[in-house]
Amino acid sequence: MSDHALFKRVAIGTIAVWLLLFAFAPNLMVVIASFLTRGESEFLVWTPTTDAYARMLDPLYLHVFWNSFYLSAMTTLLCLVIGYPFAYLIARANPAVRPYLLLLVIIPFWTSSLVRTYAMIVILNTNGLLNTLLQSLGLIDEPLELLYTDGAVIAGLVYTLLPFMVLPLYAAIEKLDWRLVEAARDLGARKVRTFASVIIPLTSPGIVAGCMLVFLPGLGMFYVADFLGGSKTTLIGNLIQRQFLSARDWPFGSAASVTLTIVMGLMIGLYLLAAKRANAKVEV
Amino acid sequence: MKKLLLVTALLAALPLAAQAEEEKVLNLYNWTEYMPKEVLKAFTKETGIKVKESNYAATEEMYSKLKAGGGGYDLVVPSTYFVQRMAREGLLEPLDHAKLPNLKNVDPKFLDKPFDPGNKYSVPYLMSHVGIVVDGGKVDVSSLKSWLDLWKPEFKGKVLLMDTARETFAVVQKALGYSANDTDPKHIEAAFNKLKELVPSVKLFNGESPKVSFIQGEVSIGIAWNGEAFMGSQEKKSLTYVYPQEGVVLAMDTMAIPKGAKHPENAHKFLDFIMRPEIAAKISETLGYATLNAEAVKLLPKKLASNRIVYPTDEDLKNSELLEDIPTETQGLYEKYWSELKVGKKVKGG
Repeated sequence: MSDHALFKRVAIGTIAVWLLLFAFAPNLMVVIASFLTRGESEFLVWTPTTDAYARMLDPLYLHVFWNSFYLSAMTTLLCLVIGYPFAYLIARANPAVRPYLLLLVIIPFWTSSLVRTYAMIVILNTNGLLNTLLQSLGLIDEPLELLYTDGAVIAGLVYTLLPFMVLPLYAAIEKLDWRLVEAARDLGARKVRTFASVIIPLTSPGIVAGCMLVFLPGLGMFYVADFLGGSKTTLIGNLIQRQFLSARDWPFGSAASVTLTIVMGLMIGLYLLAAKRANAKVEV
Repeated sequence: MKKLLLVTALLAALPLAAQAEEEKVLNLYNWTEYMPKEVLKAFTKETGIKVKESNYAATEEMYSKLKAGGGGYDLVVPSTYFVQRMAREGLLEPLDHAKLPNLKNVDPKFLDKPFDPGNKYSVPYLMSHVGIVVDGGKVDVSSLKSWLDLWKPEFKGKVLLMDTARETFAVVQKALGYSANDTDPKHIEAAFNKLKELVPSVKLFNGESPKVSFIQGEVSIGIAWNGEAFMGSQEKKSLTYVYPQEGVVLAMDTMAIPKGAKHPENAHKFLDFIMRPEIAAKISETLGYATLNAEAVKLLPKKLASNRIVYPTDEDLKNSELLEDIPTETQGLYEKYWSELKVGKKVKGG
C-alpha cells in the first residue's frame, strides 16, 4: 500500500469513526429516546410509544415553534435588508480595500457571541450607554425601556448573525458578471428594473445561502432571547433544554429535538432545490 | 459472648483499616460559589487530602449527572427535596455517624427531618429561602405584607421572577393558601391562573443572578433567594428582603455521599471538618448564607448574626415551609404551565 493510500484511509477512517461515535450515535440515541416512556424514578422506560410526538401537537408547543420561527424570520429579513447594500458596497469597492473591509466584518467573531450579547445588555439597559447618551443629548427625559423587549432580542440576533448574511452575499455579488448588467442598461432598463430583474436573480444563490445561514442558527440561539428578552419567551431551544434539566422528560425533549432536526432538514432540502433552480436559470 | 463481641468489633474495624489506605483526594461536586476557597485550603493543609471541586448551577443538573451514572464524585450538595428522591433511588451512600462527631454541633431543629429520617444520608449545610427581594429606594417596604402585594398595579413592568418553575409555583401556591408542596392538579391550575395575572407585570425572568438586575435598576421588586438580597445589598444599600405573612419557601442544602464514591472516608473527614463551629462560621461569613450549625452561630460577628436577611427571627419564619420532593408528573405539569406562561406573554401574529 502506498503512503498516499494509507494516508487517505487513515484520514477518512478517523473522520468516519469520529462522526459515527459523536454525531451518529448520539443522534440515534435521541431518536430512540423520543419513542420511549418516562418513568417516575428512571429517565427512560423501555415501553415504546409515540406519546411524546402526540404531545408535540398541543397548540402550546406549536406556539413555541411559531415564536422561534417568527423571531428567526424577522432576524433574517433585517439581516438581508441591512446586509445586501453592505455586501454590494464591499463588492464594488476598490479591490485593494476589499480584504480590509471583509476583515472588519469578521473581527467581531474573535469575541465569543456570549460576551457580545452581554455587551448588548450594557448598552441597552435602563442606565446603560444608549440611554445615558440620549439623555445627555437632551433627546429623551426618561430612560427608554430597551432591554427585555422583542426589539432587543431581534437586535441581538441581527448583530450576532449579520456576518453570516454578508459573506455569502459578497461572494455572490463579487462573482456577478457585470457585462449582463451593462447589457440590461443598454437595452433600456432603468436602475430599479435592472436590480430587480438582473442583479437579484443572479445573486439569488447568495441570498438563499445567507438566509439559511442566518435563519437556522437563529432558531437555536435561545440564549440571546434569554439575556436580551429576559427569558420571557419560550423558544424551541429553551423547551428542549428544560425537558432534560428540569422536567425530567427525556422522551418529550428528544421528540422536540427530532422534530426540529426534521424541520431544518426540510429547509435545507428546499435550499438545495432553490439553488439548483437558480443555477439552471442562469445557465439557460 | 465477650469473645463474639470482640470478633464483631474487629470485623467492623476491618473496612476501616482498608479505607485508611484511601488515596488523598476528594472530588466535591458543589453549587457555584458555595464553598470558600480558604476552607478547602485549610482542609488540605490539615489532612493532606486534595479537594477537586466541580460546580453546577441547578440541583437538577447534578441529579441528572449522577442518575446517568457519571461523575465519580465523593460529595454532592443536594437540596433537601432531592435528598429524598436520591435516597429513594439508591443514589446515596448511608453515612457513618461514628465518623461525624461534630454532627452534635448542628442545631437539632434541622436534624432528623422527614426528608431524611435520622440523617441517614445527609448532613445539613446551609439554609436559604425564597421571599420578596425589594429595592427600598423605589418601593415603600413597610407597605409590603403579603405575597399578593406583588400583583399590585403599581409594580407593572418592574417585577423580577426567577426562571425556576418549582420555586415560583411554590410561592404562588402559598399566596393562595395552599401548601408549597401541594400536588393537587386543581390547586396547581389555580396557581397557574394567578401567575398568569402576574406575568404582564414581569420585566424579566432571571434565575442565575437576580441581584444584578436589581443593582442595575431594571426591576424594583421580585421573588428571589435571600442570598441574592444579601449579596446585592453589599453593593446597593437600598436592597432588602421581606418575609411575607403567608410564609417564605425554605430550601435547605445538605451534603451527601453519592453511591459508589471512591473516597468515602475522605468525604466523612471533610463533612466532619466543615461541621466544626469555627469552620461553619467562616463559611457563613464568606458566603452570606445561614449556617445550620448552632455552635457556629455563637461565633458569628454580630453584624452578620443580626442581619435578618441571612438569619431570620422565628417570627419571620412563621408559616414558612420546606420544599419537599414532588412526583415527576407534577414537575412535568409545572414545566408545561411554565412554557404556557411565557408563550401567552407574546402572541404576535400567531
